[in-house]
This record gives sequence, structure tokens and C-alpha cells, in this order.
Amino acid sequence: MSGGYRQQPGGSGHTTRKDGKRVAGKQAFPPPGSGGSKPKMATRDLDFIPESVGGKEPQPAGSHIHDRVRTGTSVGKEMPLVDSNAKVTGQAWYGDDVRLPNEVIGKILRSPHHYAKIKSIDTSRVEALPGVLAVATGADSPHRFGVLPVTKDEHAMAVEKVRHVGDLVACVAAIDEATALEALNLFDIEWEVLEPVFDPKKGLEDVDEPIHWRGKYHLAKTNVQKRVFQEFGDRSLVEKPHAESHGKWSMAGVHHGFTEPHAVVAHWGPNGRLQLYTPQQVPHYTHRALSTVLDVPMHQINVIRTFVGGGFGGKSDPFPHEMCAAILARKSGRPVRITFDREEVYWINRGRHPSHIEVKMTADEDARISGFDIDALIDGGGFASFGHVTSYYNGVLATAPYELGSFHYTGARVWTNKPASGAMRGHGAVNTRCAVEVGLDEMAETMQVDPIDLRLANLLPPHSRTISGFRITSNGMREALEKVRTGSNWDEKFRKMPLGKGIGIGCGFFISGSGLPIHWDPNRFPHATVHMQVDMDGGVTVHTGAADIGQGSTTAVAQVVSEVLALPIEMIHVRSHESDTSPVDLGSYSSRVTFMNANAAIRAALEIREQLLNAAWEILGYHPNNLILNDRRIYYKHDPAIGVSYLKALHKAQEDKGALIASGAYRSPPMGGVHKGAAAGLAPAYSFSAYVAEVDVDVETGIIQCTNVWAAHDCGKALNPLAVKGQIIGSCHMGLGQVLSEKMVYGRTGHLQNANLLDYKIPSVHEMPHVEPIIIESCDPEGPFGAKEAGEGPLLPILPAVVNAVYDAIGIRLRNLPLTPDVVYKGIEKALKASEFDDPTDLPSPTLTFSSMQQKLVARAQEHKIRDKARQRTEDTSPYVNGVLFGFDPTIPLEDQVEGWRIATEPDPEQLAELGLAGRAWLKKEQRQMDGEN
Amino acid sequence: MLMPPFTLHNPTTVEEACTLAGELLEKGEAFDWVAGGTDLLPNYKWHINPKPHVISLARIEGVDTLSLHEIGCMARLGDLTAENGIHPLIVEAAGKVASSLIRHNATLGGNICLDTRCFWYNQGEDWRRSIDWCHKADCGTGAECRVIPNQNTLCVATYQGDIAPTLMVLDAEVHLIGPNGLRVIPITEFYQLDGMKKNVLEDGEFLLKVTLSKEAAGRSGSYQKLRVRDSWDFPEAGVAASWIPGDVSSLQIATTALESIPRCHPEEVSAVLDEGWDGISSIKALAAGVRKSVQPVNNTSLPPRYRKSMVRVLTKRAVEKMIEEIQ
Repeated sequence: MSGGYRQQPGGSGHTTRKDGKRVAGKQAFPPPGSGGSKPKMATRDLDFIPESVGGKEPQPAGSHIHDRVRTGTSVGKEMPLVDSNAKVTGQAWYGDDVRLPNEVIGKILRSPHHYAKIKSIDTSRVEALPGVLAVATGADSPHRFGVLPVTKDEHAMAVEKVRHVGDLVACVAAIDEATALEALNLFDIEWEVLEPVFDPKKGLEDVDEPIHWRGKYHLAKTNVQKRVFQEFGDRSLVEKPHAESHGKWSMAGVHHGFTEPHAVVAHWGPNGRLQLYTPQQVPHYTHRALSTVLDVPMHQINVIRTFVGGGFGGKSDPFPHEMCAAILARKSGRPVRITFDREEVYWINRGRHPSHIEVKMTADEDARISGFDIDALIDGGGFASFGHVTSYYNGVLATAPYELGSFHYTGARVWTNKPASGAMRGHGAVNTRCAVEVGLDEMAETMQVDPIDLRLANLLPPHSRTISGFRITSNGMREALEKVRTGSNWDEKFRKMPLGKGIGIGCGFFISGSGLPIHWDPNRFPHATVHMQVDMDGGVTVHTGAADIGQGSTTAVAQVVSEVLALPIEMIHVRSHESDTSPVDLGSYSSRVTFMNANAAIRAALEIREQLLNAAWEILGYHPNNLILNDRRIYYKHDPAIGVSYLKALHKAQEDKGALIASGAYRSPPMGGVHKGAAAGLAPAYSFSAYVAEVDVDVETGIIQCTNVWAAHDCGKALNPLAVKGQIIGSCHMGLGQVLSEKMVYGRTGHLQNANLLDYKIPSVHEMPHVEPIIIESCDPEGPFGAKEAGEGPLLPILPAVVNAVYDAIGIRLRNLPLTPDVVYKGIEKALKASEFDDPTDLPSPTLTFSSMQQKLVARAQEHKIRDKARQRTEDTSPYVNGVLFGFDPTIPLEDQVEGWRIATEPDPEQLAELGLAGRAWLKKEQRQMDGEN
Repeated sequence: MLMPPFTLHNPTTVEEACTLAGELLEKGEAFDWVAGGTDLLPNYKWHINPKPHVISLARIEGVDTLSLHEIGCMARLGDLTAENGIHPLIVEAAGKVASSLIRHNATLGGNICLDTRCFWYNQGEDWRRSIDWCHKADCGTGAECRVIPNQNTLCVATYQGDIAPTLMVLDAEVHLIGPNGLRVIPITEFYQLDGMKKNVLEDGEFLLKVTLSKEAAGRSGSYQKLRVRDSWDFPEAGVAASWIPGDVSSLQIATTALESIPRCHPEEVSAVLDEGWDGISSIKALAAGVRKSVQPVNNTSLPPRYRKSMVRVLTKRAVEKMIEEIQ
């Protein structure tokens, strides 16, 4: 046996004399940190919290499957992101930093019309311009693409018609930007201008020329792209409500406002393969779309994700300009670079949908929420993008964290002649969440109870199921609410502050990765795959396709690998830029990356760990079960002095085969219901959050200043608390923008009036409140080391928290977002007219006297707290489904217990008359059902 | 965004600048003056009225003076707010302009001569093409004004400078120089009602400096600015008030960001003074009068109705703050 670092083989048995005296030269080596008094390593019971922090108490959220591979190296430690040095020193290469030899500049000709047919395009004058190397139009790209396989409705450039001002018409590549810009003026195009649609309500009507045509699935001749109906539970519960709330909301569209504009460089290499450099959140879908559009097999394309200067969902579609660059590069034989102006960024949009949302909710005499009734009409703009999913998310992501007696949702997404809406941080959940949380506040007001207690007494427990069939695992909602209540000194402030000062609560619930991937071909393909390689130098190279868009996914992967292999983070090198070298990862959307990719990375790291332990087994003679890997050593569990260095073990493992390699993958387990659309909103885990916001409202001007936010977010386990806090604070900033100042303004003529960062008002540092991030760790059984998402969910609660705080400050419910000063002032004027006062400073500040219900709620919340604790620790593993609060038996399917318990995805004919705005889409028939009707 | 090409001239004396301007005029070549460039260059990048020649004032010696009685056109707003001895009202307004980064470059002259703004005008070329061009930016296309359709004569772009109203209530004078010599006029006569012409500067003239009389230096006042964000944003409405402390009859009010020019409101002030000053109720009457006299249009971020309503609040606050200061 080669000479590993061995001392006293066989353990400590031979080293003590029977008389208790020590044997010279054969002292037992104490374990590090034991102070020499304990010859053996103390065993640690992972089910209990360590003695150093109290001991005896069971782990608050139970133990985790990954606990046995914890080494204490990096998980849970605050560390700067691994790519932060590159960014702060200007060495990160973003889309526009790529410079290839001989590259030329591409420019895009954009539609000046909202909606028009292209009758002809004459490019002869363009081609004749000296310096122009290639020209392309829709004729060069007949194939459709789109991020979702079910709604491929985009072309690289307009084929037949343009659908909004700024839609792509043609493109040119020229030797420099000036020539390319000059060339854009030389296209001769004959247009036939069509009647545009801007108002989403009009999108529900039949028109002569719908913006897209879906053949037999097209809904009459409307512009409805997707309609959704979902109804669950016992609708009879809502008939005689004890309290209710009803609100109609209008929410403006908002944009991600990322720093880096879109930029792309395409180059067909010497062997005829395409290299495409692009700041993409989901390079894999771009890869697929390029293959379709260019008619080139995927293996002949290498998508290189540059550093991404912010995405927030706005860089997660395959984009037409990426196709244009590739087409121009193929035609010109030169690398082509296209960089957007800010105006073009707004025209490609994919921001949050402008929405009309109506929420009715009811509570019964026990203050249980007997029904949510949500109607969401969302304005999709010119293309489908992620809209199919958004249409579902607007409803289904409101089915938790509360236990509901019934749930009713109608949604519709319509095409209009505006830039396309898409996915944005908090995808589909943000607007409805705001409406729901404000509704709860209003309902608490009518019942004269504290809105926090109303929530605490109606929460779904951990390890339960929502009314729509989502599997809830860990759930830190209760703790989050309790923490912000004490943190903000809520009980001293709520409804007790003078006019103009207010405090409000809002909660959030979001998916941590979507259960079903967007692309599921080939069958059972993992959502995330990670490859790992350890060569003789001991450094670990991790290959992953996960796109770091600033959220820190690269750091998260490096951290979990470092944790499992007990190596300092500097020894982990993540390679994630090229599709040639990275295994497929589905991309950075739906808050899936840390959850899925880190899980895959842990599995790969465990494989490497096993190879190392086996090698150490050969050297030391102890079975891997008795070996510990830590601190760049592998040593005997009962005597740490007996061990071998990491490198020694590594070199042993590499004998005759060289670098160690491993692969890990993650695919979420099958779960959820079987009804149509059951997969939308399904996730392997969910995050929960609760925020309290404090505001000052200037009653004379209507200007709102958010001053303080207490933000508690349940991320399962903070792999890197610094990154989690950053996400919470950043989410607050983005959400504050939506609630206070940001909106895409479409003027009288339907033009986007503020396509620049001066007039699109992202809050500046002056508008930022003091945010106190509070991390809640509920230790998710499926998450990597217990972690769940922290990137999107934290955005949700800030909107309702601010809106509720404004009510607390001035007693006015406002339901038009953003709450710009003029909107608030209008509300104040209206309130003044209805009052006996002339001066807004005389308006009364709202007050609240608790009713007898308050005590009941407090008592119920207390009972539930005990219930939840037992369930979270899995001391109570009995089934729990939404409905138990209403007295149903969780072991029997609810539809068998209650007559009239509905799981419906289409309205009954008698319901049609009473559907909301979006619900009216159900009055129309699909073309295939309309034979001969038109 | 690609800056259109232009020839940059860098005169080092006022005389050289004037001669240069005269020569270009004679040749019939169009040109713009540039000081800090924070207003002109973004417009150039958007291809808003770019000219083939630009004359920079940056290398001219002695035009960045900073004192109580005289401020040169090249005085940077950042320096102005940091310097001791400048009139506090000017410092207050200058400190509210844009952000500290922009103030580092922006100059007093540039701020006074700020181009008028409009959300149909301050847009890229592709954007303006989509509205079939703008009356102010794309002269020659025959485009109508998009703010108020069916009228083609007047541009109603909004003047959104912060410092002009404070200079107005301080009775400042502006010194204009050009090939035809120097003239000195009160700043209240500097602006000319039309979003395109903007002011009385003649071809080849530029604003050399601003002077404040001894009497004016004794005035105190307040500037109130309405904006969505406390940084970057242009005023959506602005009201400046000043008086000789304790003497109500010396009260002056000026507004900005509501119309194509900033202006003083002597009639509204004297209407209230004629009734006899009565503290709070007079302030209210004055605020209502000023509010009534302004006519904002829909071409900035906030709706005109709201901006107009806010003039009342801003006037009230400006006067109240001014009076409070001596108590």
C-alpha cells in the first residue's frame, strides 16, 4: 500500500494502557477543535440543532437529505458572487463587448405602422449603396419560431404583415453603422395600412383582420390568443358571505429596465458552423429556434452566452434580431453585430402585461376565505411569447398560501398592435397577487380584524395541497408574517398613525422552478444536467448550461460543489457559456436555476466524492462509510488523525484513467392534478414571503415616499445569504417601480411615448426605502441543501404592501397602478368632494376598532401554529389538503365528500352570462366548432 | 445611437467665437453653440435638428465666473452649488437640476437656453417617422404639431429649465453677445413665446453671462419643483418666489415647466396685493391666481390637469417657506 498519511492504524484501541497511562509516542491525536480532552469525534445528531446554538430542540424544519454531505465549507456563508470581480473591474464581456475580426454592423428596419400589410419590398436601392454587404427581408426567413412550442407565431422579419410600431421589417449589414443607417432609408416599401387594435377590451371583439390566425383553433374572429377557465371547490360557500371585497384594477405594462440593451454577434466559422454570441437567459431555446429558422441542425450551431447585463425575464425569448444577425452573417460571409438602441429594447419589450383584473372574494362567519373569484384580461401585444403560461399564472398562482373554500378564475390574453408582453420577474403572479392581497386587507377592514391575523388564521400548512392540486412542501409563510409583524412594530402602528403616514402588509407565493419543462422532447429529458471534471491539479471544472444573468447561479453551483467536496470556492471553476461544452440546461426562468441546477450539481459532486472515498478506502483500508471528506482531507471518522490528503486520494482515483468525470441531472417528480392546465403553476417547491411597507403620502400633491420595508422571504435555505438579501432588496426596488412610477405609456395614437430611461421612470436611489431583508429558512425536502427560489417571489409582496399602506395613510383605496402622484391626487380630490372638507390636510386618517372576530382569529392562528410546527418537522405526517379548514376529510377525495365540489376547466352554459371581462372570451366559439357560421 | 457628424470649433476668446459665428452665418452654414453638452448632445444622438457645425464655448477663458453679482455662461452647475457666496435661491434651484453627474457637466448658460421638450419631439428618428414626423424636429416635412392637432403655427413644447424662474424673481439681467455686439436685457424679456424660437437670441448670438444687481442680491426666496423622482427628472412644474425680506410689496413669482417659456406673474401678484395682504388667505388667493394663469399641455410625463393643480400647492409652499425663513 502506498504511504498515505497514516498514524496508528486500527484506531485508538492500542494506544491506551489498561492502567490509563499514555503510551509514549502513541498518543491519540485529538480531533481538530476538541481541545485535546476528547479523544474521539463527538457524534452529531442531525435531527437536533447543534449544541453550540442551544441543542436539544429539534431542527425547526426537520433534517434534510443533504445534511449528511454538509461539510460547512460554503453553504450558508455570505460570499460575493464568483463573477463579481470580472464585473467590477470591467472585464466581464457583455453582448456588445464581443469583437470579431472583420465584423460588420447590422441594423434593423422597423415598422413605422401599427398594423399594415407589406405589399412589396424593393431592396435594389439598398443593395446598390456602396458598403452594404447583405440585405435580408421576411422572404429570407419563412420559418416560424416562438419560445413556447404551442405558440410559434414569430418570424425573424415580418412575413406578410407588421404587427406593431417597431416590428422588424428587414435588415442590412454594412461596413459601418453610418452606412447601415443610411441604407435603412433606401428601402422602397408599399404598405396597406390596417385598422389597429390597442385596447385589450377591443381584443375580445370580432374584427376583419385578426392580428394572428390560428386556423381551426382561432376563437371566432377575435384577437384572443388564449382563454382560461378554472373552477375548484364548493361554490355554494360563497353564496351568503359574511364579508366580501370587490375590486377592479387596471395595471399598466412595465418593462424589465435591464442595464444592457440586447446585442448579438453572429459568425459562420470556417467549417460552416454558426457561432452566435448573445446575452440570453435561455440560450437553449435560442439554439432550438436558430436551428428551425436557419434550417441547420442544432449540432452545427454553437450558442455562446455572453455575460448578461440583467434579464429579469426580458431576455428569455429567442429573439428575431438573433435570427437576423445569423441570416446577415450567412449572406455576407462576415461576422455581423447588432446592438439595440434603448428604443428598440422597448419595442421588443416582453415586459409585464398591461392588465385589467377584477377580484371578488368572500369570507364566511368564521372569517374563513370561502371564495376567490378572479378575472384577468391581459394585453399581450403583437406576439404570444410566454403568454400562454401567463394566462394561467394570473389565476393559479393565487391559490396559495391561503386555504380556500372555492376558487374561480377566468383569464384571457389578447393580441393588440403594441410591443409584445412576455415574462417578467414574478411572471404572471404579480398583478393578481396585488389585487388579492389588497382585497384581503379590505375584507379585514369590513370584519374589523387585523389583516395579519386574518392571514395567519387562514394559511395552508406545510406538506399540504392547494385547491388546484399543487404540492406544498416546506412553508415558511407563518414565520415570515410573524417576523415582519414584530420587526415593523406593526401592532403599535397599524391604523394608529396620523394622516399621511401609513403601514401595510402584503404576502407572496411563487414557484421554485416549473414542474413541467417547456420542451419535453426528447422524452424524460432532465431539466438540468451538470458535468464535472477533476484533473490532477485538484481543481474542479463544472460544465453547466445554466445562464447566470446576475442572479448568481454560477456562484450557487460553485458553492454546492465546494460544499460537497469540501474544497475552497476558488478551486471550483464553472464553465457555462458555450452550448458546445455545456450540457443542456433549460435556462433562467421560472426561478428554476438554483433549485434544479444545484440539485444536478450536487449529484455530480456526490459521484466525484464517491470516487475519492473509494480511492481513500484503498489507501487507508477503511470503508467509505467510515470516512469523512473535509478540509481537503479524507480521514477516519473515529480518528481524524488517520487520513489522506485530498490530492493523494485524487491521484489514487486517477490511476490509469486520468481526470475524474461525473454527471448529475435533475428532473422534477411527477405530481399535480390531471385537469386541463394542471401543469401550469406546478413546481417542485414554492417560496413564500411577507412584507410590511411604511409610506409617507403628501396629501396635497399625492406624492408617495416609501420609507421602510420589512421583507421576510422563505427561500428554504439561504445558500448564500448575501445573494438572497441582494435579491430581496433588488426585488423591492423593481416592485416599487411598478407600484409607484413605472409604466409603458401608450398615448392617444397608440404609440409608446416613453421608450427611454428618462421618461420610463425607474426609481432612483432617492426613492429607495430602507429595506430590512429577513431570511426565513424552512428547509425544503427537495431543494439543494433545502434551498428554494429567492429571485422572483420577493417581488410580489411589495406592491400590495405599499397599496395597503397608502390606504392606511389616507383612507383611500387606489386600484390603478402605478400610483403616480396624479392618480393619488385624483383619489384625494374624489374623497374631498365626498367629505365636508376643502383642504386635504383635514381628511380623517383611517382607524380601526377590533370586533369580537379578532379574538377568534388569534386563537385559531395559535392552534394552527402548533399544527404547522408539527407538520414542518414531519412529526405529523398525516395528509392535509385544502378543505380541511372547512371540515373536510383529507383522506377522501373532496369530490366524493361534497356534492358540487368542482374541478372544472370550462364554464357550464348557465355560467356564461355572469362571467367577467376576460370570461367573455368564453362566449365565442372556436372556428372548428363554427362550421358555416361565418 | 450614432452621433451625426459635425465640425467642432473651439474658439478661445469671446471675440474669436463671435467672428467665427459671423463667418459661418455669412457662408450660410447652420451651427449650434455647445457649453456642457448635456442638453444638445442627447438631442443630436436622436437626430433632433443636428447642424453641420458646433461651436464650443468650453475653451473660452473667463466665461465661467462665479460670484454673487455675476455668473458666466460656462459656470458648471456642480460648481455653482458648491461655491460660497452665490445667491442661495440660485443655488437651491441649481441643486435640483437633474443628477449630480449631469450637474458636473451642465452649465448655467445651457440651462437658461435649454431646448424646449415634448414627448412627441424628444424621440429617436425611427420613432418620429412612425408619427409621420414632428413639427419642431423635422421642419421641412410639413409635419403638424402632434400635441394639439390641426394647428400648425405654434410649437407648444415645454420649457423645463429650473434656474430661469429664480433668475426672473431676482431681476437678473442676461448679457447676449454676437457678431453685432453686446446687449443686456432683463431675463424676463429673454424668452419668446414659441417652442421653436424659444428666446430672443439672434442668429450668431450666445448668452455670455448673468448679472444680479445689488438690490436683487438682497432678496430671498424659495423654489419649489414638482417631479416624479428626486433625481434626473425635469420639472413637471416649478414655482419660484422672492421678496425683500419683510416687504410683501416686493413679492415676485415666476413659474416654469408649464408652458413654452418660463414667466413672471406680476398681474396675479398685484391683484392680491391690491386687496391688501392678509397672510394665509392672501397666499391662497395668490396660489389660485397663478394656477389659473398657466396653461400646460399634454406633452410631459404627468397630465396637464394635475400639473396645473399643483401650481397652487407649489406657489403656496414657495411663499410660505420664504416667509417662514425670516420668522
